[in-house]
Amino acid sequence: MGLPWIVAAAFPGQQRYLLHILVFTGLFASLALSYDLVVGHVGSLSLAHPAFFGIGAYAAALLATEAKWPFVAGLAAAVLAAGAAALLIGVPVFRLAEHSLAIGTLGFAMVTHIVILNWVDFTRGPLCVTSIPRPSIAGLAITTLPAYYWLTLAAFAVAAVLYRALTTFRLGRAFHAVRDNEPLAQAAGINPLKYRMMAFSIGAAVAGGVGALYAHYLTVLCPEELTISLTVTLLVILFLGGVGSLRGIVIGAVLFTALPEVLRVAPTWRLVIYGSLLLAIVIRAPEGLDALFRRRAPR
Amino acid sequence: MEDLLEQLLHGLTLGSMYAMVATGLALMFGVVRLINFAHGEFFMLGAYAFWFSFKELHLPYAVAGVAAAAAMTVFGVVYQRTVIRAILDRTWHVQLIATLATSIVMTNLAMIVFGTQAKEVPTTLSSTVITVGGLRTTWQRLLVVAGALVVFGALHWFVTRTKLGKAMRAMSQNREACAVVGVDVQKVALVTFAVSAALAGIAAALVTPLFNIFPDMGALLALKAFAAVIVGGFGYVNGAIAASFLIGIAESLAGGYVSYAYKDAFAFLFMIAVLLWRPQGLFGRRIGI
Repeated sequence: MGLPWIVAAAFPGQQRYLLHILVFTGLFASLALSYDLVVGHVGSLSLAHPAFFGIGAYAAALLATEAKWPFVAGLAAAVLAAGAAALLIGVPVFRLAEHSLAIGTLGFAMVTHIVILNWVDFTRGPLCVTSIPRPSIAGLAITTLPAYYWLTLAAFAVAAVLYRALTTFRLGRAFHAVRDNEPLAQAAGINPLKYRMMAFSIGAAVAGGVGALYAHYLTVLCPEELTISLTVTLLVILFLGGVGSLRGIVIGAVLFTALPEVLRVAPTWRLVIYGSLLLAIVIRAPEGLDALFRRRAPR
Repeated sequence: MEDLLEQLLHGLTLGSMYAMVATGLALMFGVVRLINFAHGEFFMLGAYAFWFSFKELHLPYAVAGVAAAAAMTVFGVVYQRTVIRAILDRTWHVQLIATLATSIVMTNLAMIVFGTQAKEVPTTLSSTVITVGGLRTTWQRLLVVAGALVVFGALHWFVTRTKLGKAMRAMSQNREACAVVGVDVQKVALVTFAVSAALAGIAAALVTPLFNIFPDMGALLALKAFAAVIVGGFGYVNGAIAASFLIGIAESLAGGYVSYAYKDAFAFLFMIAVLLWRPQGLFGRRIGI
């Protein structure tokens, strides 16, 4: 974790930029972990994650700017709002069969984007929420970049620990049972709906928290943050890094946030590359990736 | 009263557009069991192809329309040969992610090639307002509805009277049996794709004079088409068509009387409402054309 200081010593003057990249990477890695909980461990291909990220981000941003809530309260509200949204949308959407779940969650993501874009009175829409204050925890103001780096690191540590805790022990095995063979899991007394909803809402809550941190870091929040490009980036991180693997996802996050930033690839070209990569991986996937999905019982 | 009727006519226009796109989607799912997330981009590319033929090459409207449909047919074939063949036998997760990835690539390539500024393609049919029985509309809107009816009639004829069409229906019912009986499964799949893409191209040629063209226009359209396919009962083409018109009319009425800004959300809300009531769709799980 002293890595930044080592690299900073090697590249003097690049400190700020490096820290900035590390903050982004930390946030995206946490987000990817929360997404993997839903996709990799419980096997639900949800496309709604950007919506939860956005709901958390906007909740925190608006509470901080309009209602002048303290940072920690705003963060808690963001986490709860995202989790609640997941519960709300999960009830109708998990009743749908397989592919319809993907489309239903995609629809939710698009509608959330539309609402945030158009409800200008509330969310400022395309004008963006500006002047989001830097966080302050128990009187300790987090205004410098290194301070934000430590905050992000702490958040990532929480996310990683949570991820590990939820995917091992009995709970983790229950998730995997639902993913691998739902009828069998049901026969064994594991309620698939309950566990899918659990993973879905926890994943959403964490995404909301990351959103809040992201909003406070950028101090400006626009509706463009919650489009499907985010889902594609997350999917690439998951598939290239390794679905279901903590280390793999961190590596994937580093690759797919740090690298494009450093190479200054334009967003459109970035997405063309990501999309092509995703296509290539998914088609030529080694048996491991395919086996992950094929282990589900045929419907 | 005129207001209501105008909204209904607008709803029919929207419904026709959604129906043509949704039919392509339903065909692909029914015949080849594939969920094509890139279908909205078929429409988007068709729109740009039409714009190019009409605005840049200055071809007359009908010729430009045919050009757009032809271009999309070629694209559909290429798409099937490259992307689809690789994922046809894989799980639906793979198909979904692959087609989603393709959709993103196409959208962003379109942004790079055509720029993000919206393009307009007004034709004489769309710019003159006419009055039909007290309702103000344009020839173009009527053309869209008429065009859709012609297209569906042609499709119905194709599927019931030609050998290839019957093969498509057979494949939607039982693919293995088709292979056993000697139906060229690959060829039928290819034709299905070509037809779906052509439908999107025709829809684009008919509809784009009414709306602007921009690179991410495919996403919303695809969502509504998917909503129609799901509500109609996955794979059941007539159901998808009926649902499309329902969605089009609902959206138009909601847009006119409730809120224009959020009209796009109504398709999704409608879909969720229907699915809460009848998870198998309005017409049940009938697979078939």
